Amino acid sequence: MSKSIGSNFARVMIAMLLIVCALITLTPIVWLVAATLKNPDDIFHYTFFPPIRALTLDNFRDLFHLTHFGRFMVNSVFTTGATVLVQLFFSSLAGFALAKYEFKGKSAVTGLMLATLMLPASVTMAPLYDLLYHMHMVDQYAGIIVPGAVSVFGIFLFRQAIVQVPDELLQAARLDGCSEFRIYWDIVMPVSRPMIGAFCLMSFMGAWNSFLWPQIILHHDNLFTVPIGLNQLLGVYSSKYGMLMAGTLVGVLPVAALFMLLQKEFVAGLTSGAVKG
Amino acid sequence: MKSFPFGNATLCILLLTLLSGLWIAVQPAPQRPVTLTYWVFARPHYDAYRRVIPQFERDHPGVTVDLQLVSNSALATRLQAAFQADLDVPDLCELEIGSAGTMFRGPLKDVGFINLKPRLEQSGLYDRIVRARFAPYTSRGEIFGMPHDVHPVQIAYRRDLFEKYGVDPGKIQTWDDFIAAGRKITIPGKQYMIELSDSDSVSLESFLLQRGGGYFDSAGNVILDNEAAVKTMEFYVPLVAGPHKIGNTVGDMYGAQFGKALEDGYEMSFLCPDWRSRMVEDNYGRLSGKMALMPLPAVALGGTRTTTWGGTMVGITKRCHNPDLAWALVQYLYTDKAQLAQRFSDTNILPPLEAAWKQPAFQRPNPFWSGQRLGASYVELAPQVPPRFTAPEIDTAQAKLSEALVTCAAYYNRHGGDSGFDPFVRSTLRQCADRVRAVKARNPY
Amino acid sequence: MSATINPAPSKAPPDAKTPSRTTIHRPKASWFSAQYKLAPYVFVSPFILLFAIFGVYPIVKSILLAFYATNGPKNQVFVGLSNFHYMFHDPDFWTAVTNTGTFALWSVFLQLPLSLGLALLLNQKWLRGQNFLRLAFFSPNLLGQVFVGVLFSQLFMVHYGLVNRILNALAPGVFSLDTKWLSDPTYVMPAIVLTSLWLYCGFNMIYFLAGLQAVDRELYEAALVDGAGPWRQFLHITLPGIKPIAVFVLVTSTIGSFQLFELPYLLLGGAGPKNSGLTVVMYLYQNGFQTGDLGYASAVGWTLAIGVLFISLIQMRITGAWKGTKG
Repeated sequence: MSKSIGSNFARVMIAMLLIVCALITLTPIVWLVAATLKNPDDIFHYTFFPPIRALTLDNFRDLFHLTHFGRFMVNSVFTTGATVLVQLFFSSLAGFALAKYEFKGKSAVTGLMLATLMLPASVTMAPLYDLLYHMHMVDQYAGIIVPGAVSVFGIFLFRQAIVQVPDELLQAARLDGCSEFRIYWDIVMPVSRPMIGAFCLMSFMGAWNSFLWPQIILHHDNLFTVPIGLNQLLGVYSSKYGMLMAGTLVGVLPVAALFMLLQKEFVAGLTSGAVKG
Repeated sequence: MKSFPFGNATLCILLLTLLSGLWIAVQPAPQRPVTLTYWVFARPHYDAYRRVIPQFERDHPGVTVDLQLVSNSALATRLQAAFQADLDVPDLCELEIGSAGTMFRGPLKDVGFINLKPRLEQSGLYDRIVRARFAPYTSRGEIFGMPHDVHPVQIAYRRDLFEKYGVDPGKIQTWDDFIAAGRKITIPGKQYMIELSDSDSVSLESFLLQRGGGYFDSAGNVILDNEAAVKTMEFYVPLVAGPHKIGNTVGDMYGAQFGKALEDGYEMSFLCPDWRSRMVEDNYGRLSGKMALMPLPAVALGGTRTTTWGGTMVGITKRCHNPDLAWALVQYLYTDKAQLAQRFSDTNILPPLEAAWKQPAFQRPNPFWSGQRLGASYVELAPQVPPRFTAPEIDTAQAKLSEALVTCAAYYNRHGGDSGFDPFVRSTLRQCADRVRAVKARNPY
Repeated sequence: MSATINPAPSKAPPDAKTPSRTTIHRPKASWFSAQYKLAPYVFVSPFILLFAIFGVYPIVKSILLAFYATNGPKNQVFVGLSNFHYMFHDPDFWTAVTNTGTFALWSVFLQLPLSLGLALLLNQKWLRGQNFLRLAFFSPNLLGQVFVGVLFSQLFMVHYGLVNRILNALAPGVFSLDTKWLSDPTYVMPAIVLTSLWLYCGFNMIYFLAGLQAVDRELYEAALVDGAGPWRQFLHITLPGIKPIAVFVLVTSTIGSFQLFELPYLLLGGAGPKNSGLTVVMYLYQNGFQTGDLGYASAVGWTLAIGVLFISLIQMRITGAWKGTKG
């Protein structure tokens, strides 16, 4: 379409429109950043940034001195990283099996998964909590990581992506004496990079921002993840708004970094996977 | 070297996970064996207890207390889940008045807290504590919580602005006086006499209690549609709706915007229980010396000059292995006079133990509040604090009262106080109360 | 959609394995065919195991629970269909359904077209700074529902909130500084819709962008030769080209809309004035988890699940995307 709306005027309009939209989108984030740099008294005194002499980094200092925010970050990195890796490995393995093999019970598995895909997570929360208690996983990292290891959505994504890998490629490898796991490891995975990138990003964002379940499972604050920790601080330091906003900002950085790293693969992955009609 | 089959980003995640896992693994685990675990949700309590618990541990050799600060919303959810699933719960736990009721659901034998009544009677504390404060923590005759506070309510106002506009708080005896003064100095969209919500029952509740109403009676029956409730609603709605309203809120009652609204004079006064007076002192330093307190106006001359808002209890859970020790800790923290004086200086919160009020800390002038003797002013009102009864359906009742408020305010905005207003309020409250009754009737226990 | 994957030219897959082709020994051959037969079972087994324990078992248990009144796991009384009876006669439930439905309609008819429009604008070859713009539009998503709820509860505040300040500065006659976004029932749904628009527009845009980039460029060139204008190009090439992804986005965002919970819950600190922000999942949470009536929570959950399933099927039928997901 680029050529049909090719006139300079149209281009300028499009660019202007995009810039305006981007500004609207970024305004709340700029406000958030500004709030982290203001003293509590100044937050609503100045709409955005105060004069330079009123700027302060106290909020960040308080965040790491008054609270266990550093620990929250480490906890989040650990639980999120573990969840993503386990999900990635299991989902891609199972997605591979569903895409490229015929085996007994395959349609049953697929049907079952499809059915659960539409079920709100809140339905199973109660029995799941009960179950985890009996497995001694309440108030443990495992209580978050293990039930989170199943990603039905992920399996579908990988199945869709791997279906498109040419069978000849796999057959050739088999003739070469590659074991099936080798095929998965050395051929299918490298070819599915874009989907891995997309999946990693989505799964990371989901796990990083997950709120309700960790809130129920984790009791001790030395296990808290960032959202839980921040929500806790919200209840306890309701007036230190700048500090809470600083926490939000710092808490978002890992996701932002990952997004920058995976931007290209993310888009390419979505193109290759989620879209098969 | 062959690259990692999942790509570099995944490799990064893997390394970070391993690193963080390693870091967590080398963190020394807390070695102290814990005798009592104690959850609190209010930071002032946490800070205060942390200072005095070491003394308790010295007095009881071999005993260690693990004090944990948990946010209120998380605490209610977790405790509820833990009680119901027989999970490990703390030995002692403080509860906010709003969530306390919901913890008493189900058969008495399944309530997670032990009945403190025998201990209270035996120690004589039952007669030394403001009786009304047991109400919110009592269910079917059993007392599950020891009250932490009294929480009388006054009106905190911008003294400088009242002076500037010629409002004399000393002359305000009744709500009618207050409203008359308020109408004179309220400028819609710019400044309001008092912070009141037109959508949340939080301030309406205080008015309701002052007039002898409430959500439930002492037996747990829903009384949201009784005469007191109707009269309160009809009185309250014109304060926050229609052309002559004197109350408004920026929607924030605890944070930075509330402070800004006070500072700008957008809200010139607010309902101020003892705990809120400290919150204002701590967070809005710029208002120091500009604020003062006055007793709540009475409904009619000679009527009650206060009400109540908020509260905390401490309970001992049934899972506690050593309830006697836990009870000793409760007595240590809640009834030691010297400590209560210190705590008052730290928090402005009036303890329910009347004998503690005579100490000098309660008589000290407070510069933030224009040199008023803050403690004494609350102490004077404390005996009049109305009881606030509760039931497991308290959440629903609060939601329904808020709903009724919004509905009635909308009517008033459209039609004003015409002849249809009274029947409308009655039927609205009736409907809301019936919803709470329906929820109650569903409870098979 | 055809296989438009671009297999990132990474490590050449069949590397350095050629010698073994001719020398497959017999035991190895039987091992080889065994591992081939077993492979799919081994590959799905970790998932199946976890799925059975943490997916299927709780689901089955929650079906049973739906017919009980409970006070935590310890107290259960069989009540038959009375949970459902109560639910269907509870006006709050219907308020929740209406709100959730309204929200879903807004997301489908406002948010998705806007996302698509944004994607179309952004999908220009000549455009500089694509990465920056993409990041800008996507950035709200990095925050997640919880923090967006907290942030916007400040932005929507009466008199001092940024939203009111900006709107009032732009159009003082139309927008009062004292607009009660979060405490006037009229404004609550718009506030939720705006917040979620801000949060999800960029996310869906990325999906559409991915779809657009997969549309065959040659088709446009051919259309240009035929003299087709931009609108006809959009109708006849773009729309069919992105249809699979559009259906996917439509179905997932509908499902997502029906699961709405954290955002309004934190934005309003609950259900909002007169339940104007009550969603079905919030209703489930309040009436199930906060009261400990897990049975009722399950009943509501299952009702929601069936409703969502029904709507998704209708959507797929209408858009003709239902070809049966064969195994």
